[in-house]
Amino acid sequence: MEVLNASPGWMTLAWLAPAVCAAAFLAIVAFRRVLPREGAYISVLAIAFGFVLFWLVLVDFLGWDFSERGAFSRAITWLRVDDTRLTWGILIDPLTVVMLGLVTFVALLVQVYSLGYMAHEPRFGWYFAVHSLFAAAMLGLVLADNFLFLYIMWELVGLCSYLLIGFYYERRSAAEAAKKAFITTRIGDVGLLIGIIFLFRETGTFEMSAIFHAAEAGELSKGLLLAAALLIFLGAMGKSAQFPLHVWLPDAMEGPTPVSALIHAATMVVAGVYLVARAYPLFLAAPPALLIVAVIGLVTALLAATMALVMTDLKRVLAYSTVAHLGFMMLALGAGGFTAGIFHLLTHGFSKALVFLGAGSVSHGTGGKTDIREMGGLRHRMPITFLTFSIGALALGGVAPLSGFFSKDEVLQAVLGGRSPVFFIAALVVAFLSGLYMARVWFLVFFGPLKNENAHAHEAPWVMALPLLALAFLGATAGLLAIPWGGSYKGLGSFLYHGQPEVAHFNPALMVASMALALGAFGVGYLVYGRGAISPARLRERFQWLHRLVANKYYMDEVYQWCINRIVLAFSNLLALFDRLVVNDVGVNGTARSVVMSGYKLRLHVTGKLYNYALVMVLGVILVALLWWVAVPRP
Amino acid sequence: MSLLHFQVLSAALFSVGLYGVLARRNAVLILFSIELMLNAVNVNLVAFGAFLDPGRIMGQVLAIFVIIVAAAEVGLALAIILRVYRNRGTVNVDEIDLMKW
Repeated sequence: MEVLNASPGWMTLAWLAPAVCAAAFLAIVAFRRVLPREGAYISVLAIAFGFVLFWLVLVDFLGWDFSERGAFSRAITWLRVDDTRLTWGILIDPLTVVMLGLVTFVALLVQVYSLGYMAHEPRFGWYFAVHSLFAAAMLGLVLADNFLFLYIMWELVGLCSYLLIGFYYERRSAAEAAKKAFITTRIGDVGLLIGIIFLFRETGTFEMSAIFHAAEAGELSKGLLLAAALLIFLGAMGKSAQFPLHVWLPDAMEGPTPVSALIHAATMVVAGVYLVARAYPLFLAAPPALLIVAVIGLVTALLAATMALVMTDLKRVLAYSTVAHLGFMMLALGAGGFTAGIFHLLTHGFSKALVFLGAGSVSHGTGGKTDIREMGGLRHRMPITFLTFSIGALALGGVAPLSGFFSKDEVLQAVLGGRSPVFFIAALVVAFLSGLYMARVWFLVFFGPLKNENAHAHEAPWVMALPLLALAFLGATAGLLAIPWGGSYKGLGSFLYHGQPEVAHFNPALMVASMALALGAFGVGYLVYGRGAISPARLRERFQWLHRLVANKYYMDEVYQWCINRIVLAFSNLLALFDRLVVNDVGVNGTARSVVMSGYKLRLHVTGKLYNYALVMVLGVILVALLWWVAVPRP
Repeated sequence: MSLLHFQVLSAALFSVGLYGVLARRNAVLILFSIELMLNAVNVNLVAFGAFLDPGRIMGQVLAIFVIIVAAAEVGLALAIILRVYRNRGTVNVDEIDLMKW
């Protein structure tokens, strides 16, 4: 969709945000040795610039009448083949603005936090370089206006994730985790690429707006729409760790904690949710795909929420929680709740990043601990961490008036209105569990008696505490976006919507019910983990088989490993055998050897004896004469 | 006397010469046989010239060509055989087989 007329400045410069971060990456990589702090400040400045640019773009966007004019877009052509044009372009609509804000803000805070957390790291500069590259790629991803550009950024984001998960590559487990993440998301990426190519073949363009118009106008065949939507969702499943491609995210905790906060909680993993939201017209035009989105989201959420309950590593619990919340977002989108899904993405982004950074602070203060069984009573030693983590945990559990309550409520409303009651009940279960597992870690880490080895635990330095406070503020207040403050703002649905703006309407019964669920979850958590009135050890014993099943991640990793060993590796061995025997031994070596052998045999004909040569000459002449006699026509 | 008689004579002489080239052990005798083949060809040429092109000398001219070539070639071949005899002490072609594998 072309811009109708020239529009004011800042939106046209939105592309500077990723460009500056990319330039920062190049600068740090090239000049790492001579820059102060190995270029970390350059990286922070670049993302700060992006953050400032976001505000300018927002102001500019608010002056743009979206409901009348649609999205703002600009593009430059970089390749033209016949009538196909490949472009770099930006598209700015409310979704983009929300994502820009989330990405720049959380990335800025995480980078500032990393200045403290990674201070003693020998590869400090490289860490920030990849952070800059990631920021550039993620910002490019949310700004992209055509699928090709999006795909390039998508892959780049995956690369940065690989580099950062495997940052401590001297550790075998970290290298393996990085490989696992990359390969698992690759499976999704292939689907995404195929889907994009299908759409390109059908419409002749990669431009999103053109494709969506074609889809809405009914110009694309039903089968193609469904296939494309499902394939795009496959890509989203990979990046957003949906079942069955969720196995990489818990292992991704091998990376540094700020990386987990940024990439695997607030930004990269939401790329899949963002993609589904961005491609919503396709999904709406192919309703079975939307149903599958909802189902997969729900299954993911249930599976992950149950697994989060039994993990003993703090970061693992948070990782499974992230998977569960991502499933929750997909469920919302699958139920038609566009606004609800993105709202939850936003509040979850703040809260989850917050608790991850809090976990990092806990680890930093206790000298590297991550096992919650070795913690306890830390609220006395780390008050700021405790306060901020509590806000994050309560928000994730959905306690009012924090942001998580409002977004969860909107999701539940969407599911209630958009899908059958089964989904709604299951969503309630997920909501309860999300409160329960957060309560579990909250009580086990911060309450109870302080263990002797933690007596010297200390609070985080200011450079780490400030981001915690900033995120806590947002985690507490972001829910206010849902309230219709008056004038033209009638809740988030009047700004961020698909199709028609929605006026916020609250379902009091549902709000009371979800509040009760959240409080109930925390209450149960208090009873079991806080006071020990119901002993968790006894529960574990009673439900031993269940506990073992869940704690072993439903044996999914084992199943995958079996598949890899028996199917993939067997096939690879077969191919290797083929390559060795047929291609190499027969084809290459065989050809050479046959030449050598024929030479060996032929040289025996050179006897050196005159009469042999004469005989051959005579025979040759006779042969030619015969052939002449037979084949040449006589006049 | 028809052309056929001369062709048969020529063929017979040629075959005898060919047998000599292939079956003789002595290099000089191989040369003899080559001469015989060349003479057979000469007979053929003159015969064709006389019967198919009467009154003209085409066949005989070609025969002169062949004689000249034969003379040159024999001179060269005998020189080679003389050198070989000086080096190897033999003209038996069974024993002159160094240019082999």
